[in-house]
Amino acid sequence: MSHLARSRKSRRLTGKHLVLVLLSLLMVFPLILTISTALKTKQDVKVNPFGLFSSFSTENIVTAWTVGNFSDYVLNSFLLSVPSTILVVALSTMGGYTFARLPFSGRTVIFYLVVLGLLVPFFTYMIPLYFQLRGMGLLDSLLGVNLVLASTGLSFGTFFMRAFFSDLPTELEQAARIDGASEWQIFVKVMLPLVSSGAGALAVFTFLQNWNNFLVPLLYMPGGEYRPLTTGLYLFLGGRSVDIGPLAAGTLITILPVIVLFVAMQRQVTAGFLSGAVKG
Amino acid sequence: MTAPAQATPVRAPTSGSRWRSRSVTSQAPPVTRRAQARLGILLVTPLVAIVAVFLLFPMANAVYYVFVDFNGIDLNPPWVGLSNFTELAQDPDVWSAFKNNVIWIIVGTVAPLVIGLGLALLIWGVKRGSVFYRIAFFLPYVLPQVAVGVVWSWIYDPSRGWLNRALELVGLEALTTGWLGNPTTALYAVLGTAVWATAGFVFVIFLSALRNVDLDLIQAALLDGANAAQRLRYIILPQIMPVFLMVTTLTLIGGFSVFDIIFIMTGGGPAGATEVLGTYAYSSAFQLNRISYGTTLALVITVMAIPFAVGLNRLQRRLSLQGTDA
Repeated sequence: MSHLARSRKSRRLTGKHLVLVLLSLLMVFPLILTISTALKTKQDVKVNPFGLFSSFSTENIVTAWTVGNFSDYVLNSFLLSVPSTILVVALSTMGGYTFARLPFSGRTVIFYLVVLGLLVPFFTYMIPLYFQLRGMGLLDSLLGVNLVLASTGLSFGTFFMRAFFSDLPTELEQAARIDGASEWQIFVKVMLPLVSSGAGALAVFTFLQNWNNFLVPLLYMPGGEYRPLTTGLYLFLGGRSVDIGPLAAGTLITILPVIVLFVAMQRQVTAGFLSGAVKG
Repeated sequence: MTAPAQATPVRAPTSGSRWRSRSVTSQAPPVTRRAQARLGILLVTPLVAIVAVFLLFPMANAVYYVFVDFNGIDLNPPWVGLSNFTELAQDPDVWSAFKNNVIWIIVGTVAPLVIGLGLALLIWGVKRGSVFYRIAFFLPYVLPQVAVGVVWSWIYDPSRGWLNRALELVGLEALTTGWLGNPTTALYAVLGTAVWATAGFVFVIFLSALRNVDLDLIQAALLDGANAAQRLRYIILPQIMPVFLMVTTLTLIGGFSVFDIIFIMTGGGPAGATEVLGTYAYSSAFQLNRISYGTTLALVITVMAIPFAVGLNRLQRRLSLQGTDA
């Protein structure tokens, strides 16, 4: 009886796995298609569009990298994602600590102003921001776009880090204070190490958001001097829509860092996105 | 303490203990409090500076733009009162874009919810390989929208696309079409792509919610002879209701301000068939130089989304309160 039940259960589990594997393949099929097309010969892409991995060549990658300027785009994507991410993590940690542990008069009002960005989407103020940046001479500049990218992540970052600092026991700082530590030392030496996992999750999440951001460089880099991968790929799409091989290669170059980072730090990324859901 | 913390996923702490620190620090001696205030102001200044310049100032400007007629050149635009709003209400393009938004919101909310919940229920209790499935299902959500748009444009291609090819293989040649070029299918084709990208996100949220479902209740229901549909309706759904509502809120609000994927895949075409308020606001402002009109549209989109967010969040809070004393 129990043996029978077990075998029925295991058969059902096998069936489940079969369905899940099929669905997974369906979900990642567009990815497989991209990789396959990017790595085929140009000739093969034209005559045999439905063949998966039917030939191997790096010529599409080379074309995208050189003719398609993707080597520049990769560099620009890093120049736009890394500083803005560092800025978000640093300022959010400092702000989060203040809003959790360092009371002063007016703090609550400031906190609400900072997290207003969670309620009001970027969309609402993107047009006035364009003219503001133009007036400040920050259009088409690394500084301007990094600051804007950072500003879109600060509200969530501060909210996120504050929750981590709020959960730390007060006994820790009291003990450090009795030992003669200054407030600054308590922050840097006692509290900071305890929120490193949170700061790490925030860093990975923010980096991906900034790397993937399309609208900010589209709007505020009209000249295209520091064009990142996202708007670069969009430009490439408009320019040579017939030539699918190099376009697939460009797509692969754009998503490869994202896939590597996601698979390597799956847990942190998911955690970041799940808490990011608070945004609504 | 540190070993299990590494084993469990990083999670933002609950907000229950939020006010504890304040009550304790208020008992601290004045010297400490002054030192804390000094450090706090110091730490928060750069944050406030960036938020003020790049968030609050443009937001205030947006409200100003709505009441003037700014064309991007004249820095002293004429005051026009509410005429941007009255024009908007009478603009037939706004209404057709709004209709597309409504379709987008309904399909784009219901489909990922159903698919995501289905996937989560399917994988629930499967231990081996669950990380692999999670990565496969969640990956589309993490990818940049441009890349997603590019790849799906090939899949929808009339002659060389996989979708038409697959339809031919199963004998449904009659259904083949140029998915993005045909005005009757274009919106749904882009929607299909968006659903593909968001279903995995919904799935991961549901999966983590299912982990908190009381398994004893399920066992009891099984003993009472409840079938799968009854278990879902009476045992599982009530327990994950707060999460269900949260996901609904998120996808709903996302539906109001959808922009990237439509802009990339169709640009609002063919013949306005996929035009939504977001793409219309963009083209008004940056292609027709009607800055104020575009801003008004963007502001209206935001204002329309707010009651949904507030209403659903309130409902969600009430339900989660019910859950704690049940």
